[in-house]
Amino acid sequence: MLVLSRKSGESVVIDGRIKVKIVRVEGDVVKIGIEAPADVPIHRQEVYDEIQQNNRQALQSGRPTPPKLNRKPASKPVSDRQPVATADLAA
Amino acid sequence: MSGVETTEIESVRVKNENVIHMPAGLLGFEDCKRFVLLTEPEEAPFSWFQAFGTSDIAFLVLPPFDAIPEYQPELSNDDVAYLGLKQPSDALIYNIVTLRPNQATINLKGPIVVNRFTLRGKQVILQNASKWSVRHPLPLAQPESL
Repeated sequence: MLVLSRKSGESVVIDGRIKVKIVRVEGDVVKIGIEAPADVPIHRQEVYDEIQQNNRQALQSGRPTPPKLNRKPASKPVSDRQPVATADLAA
Repeated sequence: MSGVETTEIESVRVKNENVIHMPAGLLGFEDCKRFVLLTEPEEAPFSWFQAFGTSDIAFLVLPPFDAIPEYQPELSNDDVAYLGLKQPSDALIYNIVTLRPNQATINLKGPIVVNRFTLRGKQVILQNASKWSVRHPLPLAQPESL
């Protein structure tokens, strides 16, 4: 692991295209800003690890029959259920 | 019979337009960039999210809203832009299901989100990820009492 010391406001550049900046240091919390191309996914490690591990556990060998779900009648038609997006999607 | 060996090949006929492109793969499976969604009517509402070209990598998935009506996934602005979503209804959502003996759980923290028009997809980590579990229990039908 490459270990560098940086002050608030200073940055490192990775692979010439990913920039990591120390935005602010408050006590033992460091605020980090990351600039990267859109195709580079960036995640907090603990959440990434949790989901990666879950994906591995979920991997199916063979195609077992899925279980039957307890179907409650939907209060709204399924087509009305949509994810909430934080971005302003108005065209 | 001549000594001709035939290999049994399991082939899945899939039209190219049903292939979902995942440029970032799945978390932990970043090299799998193309998937197909396979649905058998008797397995509904579940589907199989299978890596194209191999049957070794397949995940049981479920559109979450019927089973989990309170689910409200929030996508980051970056993910919305990455997927080219112009409105929420552009998105197809599938969550990965883990089968255990007598239990099935669903990952609500990291859904697979697909743009229904471009078929570009990503396993996103929700903006409100801390609100949801990777191992949310699915309500299973109770066995009928004798």
